[in-house]
Amino acid sequence: MILGYIDPGLGMLIWQAIVSAFVGFLFYVKKSRDFIVGLGSRIFRRQKPRHEVVTDTVKPSSVPIEAEVKAR
Amino acid sequence: MASAIPSFRDPAGHCFSFQNRIFRFVAADALADFEAFFASPSAQKLVADGKLVASRRLADGELAELRSASPRSFSGGAGAFFEHEKIFFPSYPYEWPPEMLWAAGKLTLETARGALADGFGLKDATPANVLFRGSAPVFVDALSFERRDPHDPLWRPYAQFVRTFLLPLLANRRWGLSPADVFLTRRDGIEPEEIYRWCGPLEKFSPRLLSLVSIPTWLSRKANARADDGRIYRPRRLKNAEQARFILESLFRRLERTLDALRPPAATSAWSEYMGTHSYDDPAFAEKERFVREALVEFKPSRVLDAGANTGHFSAMAAGAGADVVAMDLDAACVGRMWRLGHEKSLKLLPLVLNLARPSPSLGWRNGESASFLDRAYGTFDGVLMLALIHHLLVTERIPLEEILRLAYELTNQLLIVEWVEPDDNMFRRLTRGREQLHESLNADVFESACRQYFDIVRSVALPGTSRRLYCCRRKKG
Repeated sequence: MILGYIDPGLGMLIWQAIVSAFVGFLFYVKKSRDFIVGLGSRIFRRQKPRHEVVTDTVKPSSVPIEAEVKAR
Repeated sequence: MASAIPSFRDPAGHCFSFQNRIFRFVAADALADFEAFFASPSAQKLVADGKLVASRRLADGELAELRSASPRSFSGGAGAFFEHEKIFFPSYPYEWPPEMLWAAGKLTLETARGALADGFGLKDATPANVLFRGSAPVFVDALSFERRDPHDPLWRPYAQFVRTFLLPLLANRRWGLSPADVFLTRRDGIEPEEIYRWCGPLEKFSPRLLSLVSIPTWLSRKANARADDGRIYRPRRLKNAEQARFILESLFRRLERTLDALRPPAATSAWSEYMGTHSYDDPAFAEKERFVREALVEFKPSRVLDAGANTGHFSAMAAGAGADVVAMDLDAACVGRMWRLGHEKSLKLLPLVLNLARPSPSLGWRNGESASFLDRAYGTFDGVLMLALIHHLLVTERIPLEEILRLAYELTNQLLIVEWVEPDDNMFRRLTRGREQLHESLNADVFESACRQYFDIVRSVALPGTSRRLYCCRRKKG
């Protein structure tokens, strides 16, 4: 690999390293948050009442509800 | 890319021109990365969108032919030669209005983000990597990409991006410094320490200056005060490649936000409103438009230089007629407007901040890295427009009439459309500022006789209600 040949600066390189460390920490915060949110949504989905699950899986009708009611 | 000597800063290869074509030598140890990048989806998309210069590897037979024509150019160590698409009329950051510097910065970040997605990194981030095809920026330094270490969380060219894009744009907004003020004397932009010295005590703590200027300056002073063992420059590696990429993506997003905040606003100047305040009434202006349009249709120039283009009304007309247009004006606000017009309408219009009386010189090492404006212009254009320009050169710059026509002769291969303004014209008188006697002897007859030394006058028309006259001239042979 050919190493960079440009002037990386001094103060700006240190500043970038400091900000990177902070953002690197945020990466783990985000990861943990995503894990907790994911876990929560899995638990919530498992505990959903049965009728809601059934409603969710009903195939949407192509006929508008009002038209269906009238036809009945 | 129009340099007189091959580029030499990047150890991975160099770029040079030969027989009006652009070539690049890529050293063997960079060749795999170079070819892999060009095969990556992000590079292919950038090339297809016209945002990255197209490249092709020279076949052995073709290379042997070129080597026999120029053994020195096409020799070198182990590696390969490529040919790049040639961009019409290379320009340099010191010829751009701030709007074009901003657009070049946007493209640099877009290419860096695209490359990151495919596992590549941009190893330098300077406006010198960008040229303009018409008003659209094109990334031309194809050797700027390398396969990145997936565990490296730092972007080495960060400081260069700040020095060459963000700080010049910030200096433009705060102190009115133009890209020419920065880049004519500084190849690598402005150091934060320099800006720090210009700031007042309170200004140093403003949020934008704090992160771009003040903190880096303080950190740099502190680090310099210590005996530096070079630890800071050692490569850093994180255990988690996903974390390194997250950090870089966040950096690019932050840089993009900063760049957007520094986007130059539409500036105004004494000349930027000229189209609304000029000295012609409607019939005169309609006549001027008709005359220029007819000349463009008759001569069909494919490459036009509009000298003193103002906000680009006639440049856009020439571009609309199918020509590649370089439009120059010394007023950066006008050129900024021209760029917006060209960019919005995707015109083949390259607007540059240039003074014909003081055109850009050759610059760089041995004056060979950036060609002068005239070196690039001679032999390039088959049409030149000099509309409402001559009186500025005569009066403000004190250039003799014959010199002006001689330069016009040198700049065009065929057509010249020129506007003659009599010394009793209001604008002429405003420029003379009491020095009328210097131009007493000038009149249309004197102009025509000077013009005939270099051109055949095809036709001319007087603009109604003014003392101005337009000439359509054909360059004499020889």
